[in-house]
Amino acid sequence: MAGNGPIERILLYVDGSEECITAAQYSIALAKTTHAELIAIYVVNVSLLQELTKARIFVKIEEMDYEHDLEQDGKRYLHYISEMAGSKGVEIETELTKGVVNKEIVRLVEEMNADLLVMGELNPVLSRSDTYHDEAELIFRKSKCSVLIVKNPDSVEQIYSQLS
Amino acid sequence: MRISDFLNESLITVSLNHTDKTGIIEELLDLAVESGKIVNRSDALKAVLDREALMSTGLEKGIAIPHAKSSTAKEICMSLGVSKMGIDFDSADGKPSHLIFFLLAPEAAAGQNVQMLAQIARLTGDPSFCEALESAQSAAEAYEIIRKAES
Repeated sequence: MAGNGPIERILLYVDGSEECITAAQYSIALAKTTHAELIAIYVVNVSLLQELTKARIFVKIEEMDYEHDLEQDGKRYLHYISEMAGSKGVEIETELTKGVVNKEIVRLVEEMNADLLVMGELNPVLSRSDTYHDEAELIFRKSKCSVLIVKNPDSVEQIYSQLS
Repeated sequence: MRISDFLNESLITVSLNHTDKTGIIEELLDLAVESGKIVNRSDALKAVLDREALMSTGLEKGIAIPHAKSSTAKEICMSLGVSKMGIDFDSADGKPSHLIFFLLAPEAAAGQNVQMLAQIARLTGDPSFCEALESAQSAAEAYEIIRKAES
């Protein structure tokens, strides 16, 4: 049952990092308390693989092999997060898609009418180049809905573990 | 993801002993083996040479990135060889390679491996970075050049 408060649909950005697991814990807690729908999204970064092939760093067969690996990784992460949600009695949808990561997430935020995008803590921006290349940074800036960056993993772990 | 997180002075050499491609690959592999991150040297070497056989990892503008995935890598292994004279790495532009980044990743670290390769491509796309790194007089200096470029 979708929530009828200010948050009805939460999108969780999954990239396999430890930070995204913390974000998953927090989004599960949020979904449970607000009764919002929760959807976890993983994007296979095929555009980066194609760039590596174009730069001759990858050969085509390697690009396909890594695409398969990244897809398997994504399924694993989404399955793990589903189990996390299930263990707390929270329903979750998952979606695995492919493309340019930041563009896919921004697209899905709009398509799914998400009220809130939840992400793990961003990497420190060490150079101007990071702002152009870091997918999470780009998602944060381009998202059309509010974005929640989850920090303080110890505190979030406590919140999550106390969910019944 | 930063290259400098996976490199240290012991994984960099500015005085390569070999002058042939396979010799260089083995030399850089040995740096990674000494770091304790590789279980079986032969398997690791086979993985990298098998990849090399598909297409040379010698790129343009003096860069080479011999790399592979292998279950024999416990974690992402990286080493760097700097050759002022240049090595014939059968490169895409026919020119000698001066910066050889060796990368071996575990099978289960596809995402990290891709990010590392992209980061190498990004850094070496800057001619001033490459020039500075080629001029490094020591492993410590080379590491510092990389660290500063990523900060």
